[in-house]
Amino acid sequence: MAKDLSSKISRDLIEHIKEISGQNANLCMQCGTCSASCTGREIMDFSPRMVMRMIQLGNSKALNLKSMWVCSTCLICTARCPRGIDIARLMEALRVINLRQGREVLVAEKIPLELLTEVPQMALTSGFRKLSA
Amino acid sequence: MRIPYFPGCTLHSKAKGLDDSTRGSLAALGIELTELPQWTCCGTVFPLAQDNYIGMVAAARILANAAKEEGGKLVTVCSFCYHVLKRVNYVIKNNLEARKKLNDYLEENYTGEIEPVHPLEICKENVGLDAIREKATKNLKGLKVACYYGCMLVRPASEMNFDDPENPTIMEELVSAIGAEVVEYSYKTTCCGSYQILYDNDLVMQKVEEILNSATAKGAEAIITSCPLCQFNLDWSQEKILQKNAGFQKIPVLYFTQLLGLALELPQESLGLDKHYVDPRPLLVGA
Repeated sequence: MAKDLSSKISRDLIEHIKEISGQNANLCMQCGTCSASCTGREIMDFSPRMVMRMIQLGNSKALNLKSMWVCSTCLICTARCPRGIDIARLMEALRVINLRQGREVLVAEKIPLELLTEVPQMALTSGFRKLSA
Repeated sequence: MRIPYFPGCTLHSKAKGLDDSTRGSLAALGIELTELPQWTCCGTVFPLAQDNYIGMVAAARILANAAKEEGGKLVTVCSFCYHVLKRVNYVIKNNLEARKKLNDYLEENYTGEIEPVHPLEICKENVGLDAIREKATKNLKGLKVACYYGCMLVRPASEMNFDDPENPTIMEELVSAIGAEVVEYSYKTTCCGSYQILYDNDLVMQKVEEILNSATAKGAEAIITSCPLCQFNLDWSQEKILQKNAGFQKIPVLYFTQLLGLALELPQESLGLDKHYVDPRPLLVGA
């Protein structure tokens, strides 16, 4: 991990995430309030606290987690962070970096028809905006 | 009193009951909502990436159009619309660079002067709870109601400035004013899973079960909300939950405006009560 931190790739990733999110992940003290509150915590592979640590270290694995796609941007992490970090914006940065390279998870054809025809329109717009490239 | 109104995409289709009951209830309380002459979808989600200006364009256009109407306010009831309009307005007001970019793109000169307001605020601040108490002639005494806020109405508090983000009570105050009984429970600001219904169904089922069980354990007979996506998730998921867990207790999920309309004795057929998955009518017929 220490080797990662000194590499150019990890420094670039730290800067890139900071630029898109406008947030300083280094303020995080790893208290875990975000993880305790998170809507998707039980479905995520890495809890928000762990994702924050990966971002601090410029660990490029942070770009390949399930967690960012399971995030429902409910903002409870942001609301409760004692360090004032807008954690939802950091999760968004991870998604956005993927989406801008064409990596997406929500594909219209894969949504079951019984759901597609029933959901309110806003579910489709919000889902595609957050999870599709 | 007339106030410009933005229904939003879902209210003209799947959530027509929310649209009809909002207009009907507020009209009965002396507030006439005048729909904006032209509008589009608000974008549904507020862009959290700093460089995503295009994600704010639709909401900025709606706000700029509202500024051409009289009144200085824009009413919207869907929690997502309210969230997006309020946050984009906050950005236009406080971030000069974003204001310039959005105005240049739209060829407008909007500076954030519109105040997006929610019907819950109108009820409390413009109409007044005492006036509502007088006009709510239908007897709802004994009807046990759990208020569900979800995520978008209350967070982030610094920008939404709506109510206490951890323990909002504005909906409960309205429920008390119309004579029904408020049920306190722990999950009223827990997210229902939102658009994850399309990607991670299990997440929504799990959240909905937690939320509903928490409310029914406290004796709730109905849940009310202002968000069409919360309403759908909480309502549609119940049959699936029941298939997995035979002990699960179903509960009707209404829009708060449907309950308000009922209390104001609006015709039941005008409130869209027949559009729910868990039929609320057997419960409300005796109410």
